[in-house]
Amino acid sequence: MSLTLTGIGVTSGIALGRVHRLTPGELTLPEYHLDADAVEAETERMRQAVQRGDRFLSGVLERVGGSGNETARELLEAHRLILQDPMLIEAARERIRDQQINAEWALALQGESLQEEFRRLDDEYLALRREDLEQVVSLIQRELAEQPSALFSTQVPHRLDDTILVAAELAPADLTILSQRRVAGLITEHGGPWSHSAILARSLEIPMVLGVHHALELLEEGELVVLDGHYGAVLVRPDENLQRHYSDKQAASLRHRNELKRYLAQPSRTHDGRSFHLFGNAELPIEFENCLEAGVTGIGLMRTEYLFLDDQIPDEDAQYRAYCNALRAMAGRPVTIRTLDAGGDKLPDALALTRGPNPALGLRGLRLSLSVTDLFREQLRAILRASVEGPVRILLPMLTTTAEIAQARQLIAECREELRAEGLTIDPELPVGGMIETPAAALDVQAMARELDFLSIGTNDLIQYVLAIDRQDELVSYLYDPTHPGLLELLARTVEAGRHQGIEVTVCGELAGDERAARMLLGLGVTHFSMPPAQVAGVKKSLIEAGYEHCREIVERYRKDRRGTDDLLEALRHSGNGR
Amino acid sequence: MKRVELELVNRLGLHARAASKLVQAASGFDSRIWLAHGDKRVNAKSIMGVLLLAAPCGRELTLEVDGPDEDEAARTIAKLVADRFGEDE
Repeated sequence: MSLTLTGIGVTSGIALGRVHRLTPGELTLPEYHLDADAVEAETERMRQAVQRGDRFLSGVLERVGGSGNETARELLEAHRLILQDPMLIEAARERIRDQQINAEWALALQGESLQEEFRRLDDEYLALRREDLEQVVSLIQRELAEQPSALFSTQVPHRLDDTILVAAELAPADLTILSQRRVAGLITEHGGPWSHSAILARSLEIPMVLGVHHALELLEEGELVVLDGHYGAVLVRPDENLQRHYSDKQAASLRHRNELKRYLAQPSRTHDGRSFHLFGNAELPIEFENCLEAGVTGIGLMRTEYLFLDDQIPDEDAQYRAYCNALRAMAGRPVTIRTLDAGGDKLPDALALTRGPNPALGLRGLRLSLSVTDLFREQLRAILRASVEGPVRILLPMLTTTAEIAQARQLIAECREELRAEGLTIDPELPVGGMIETPAAALDVQAMARELDFLSIGTNDLIQYVLAIDRQDELVSYLYDPTHPGLLELLARTVEAGRHQGIEVTVCGELAGDERAARMLLGLGVTHFSMPPAQVAGVKKSLIEAGYEHCREIVERYRKDRRGTDDLLEALRHSGNGR
Repeated sequence: MKRVELELVNRLGLHARAASKLVQAASGFDSRIWLAHGDKRVNAKSIMGVLLLAAPCGRELTLEVDGPDEDEAARTIAKLVADRFGEDE
């Protein structure tokens, strides 16, 4: 008897394979009893973990220290106090002795008992402190595991061909490991279609269905499933007919992809002669290779968050090496490096302590960088140093005011001077662009354009802020509408400001890589698109076959009074050459 | 053993920032230090303890210090409280 589970499809791909359930909670938190003579060693193990945790926190504090960021400092100080708290640490140590249990378990029990006391107080404010307590407990537990970053990779089997991995949730860093192990498909219980893991799954071309409630309970280890990313369906124990149907579909989609590749060799021009430029979004080496294969003009968006995803903040040299590798891989094509865009749903663990009450509206993107200037300087110096390897552009994320641009430019100038004093030659004209992704930036885009060398529209965040929906939230993701008139207004303003100032405007959000939405952007006057390499061929075909003038008319009419169509994207789909 | 009655005069009482400052100050001394309110008594070097005590307490607390540097510890903490933990208001 077959069974169908539904969720949200992230990629249009299909995967057939056997289930492997990943339950990291059980694995990361071992619980066992100790022999009497092991108790002393266990308390010592805990003492050392606490000490390492404290060193980690003071390391982060040191970096935050000079920047005058009071809130972040206070939070970190509070965490250090909790880390030394006798009611937590001493008491957990006593539990190790009295109950003869391992450190992780003792700590979990003591943390839970403190939580219980806080809960009894029913004080809203103290609920926040409970969160801090939880974070510190997990910090020590990570230290107890000794190799926090290696943990995930050791739990996962080395070969995952023909395996559909099922997990409660997956972080972007986990996805890169799974991709290297050639996982066939992914199912998660939580997450929204615009989460970073979802975006990464798309760019790595891993079929994924998320938001499948109770997947870990319902799916059994080793059973056969078909994962249909297009419909967001998981078909459990498919019969032979169904299996054949999906194998055929898989083969057809492979053929289609090969067909699309023919377009890669053609000039980037619409059939009525409008030129456009396709750039790649890339961060992992495999993506740079794929970008080159797709014949992109350059890298329109190199995210740098992945460098910060581990528990460690990378130093200047580590970053420098990563940027140099990217530039060398692109062999003379420009690479746009976006400075750390942490915050919201993509906060590196190492900086998680700067999390405010509402991360989406909090200290994130450029705001975070400007508040932790030591960290920001290291990144800027690494980018500037790498610029001798090839053409680099710096992209500043999450602008709200022009003052932020001035501050960032000042820091860039200072870093350039420093490096010059150290005897390095840095391109003095290195372009600095900014991301238009807050409504404030889009509304003030003329002033922004005067201060920047290029603009880049981050449609994912812009849509999220314009529509006031969290893209991670399954309950409101139905409101996600890339054709909302309010959004089109802001996109049009941005394109116009770029034209007026004579600078390039690139769209580097999800929309640029969507075949139908790309035509909408074309109609709005966008000529620079940046997307994951896997999407280049499809977008190129769509744009080559589009008539620019026709797209422009449809979009204009729709913007004016929505005449002519209820469904803009559908209308644009039929505006091609051979309709 | 020294015992001092404290009155919390800052706006938020012993929440967050103030509690951190108090625990940091207390941790700098060798003496054992407690804060008491009603029948509850907590270690003043424990941030969790201070927060758990602060929520139910009004504005009155008793400070108890026992140890080699008890005079200085009591003086320092009483002053911190009287100075509103450095808060503006």
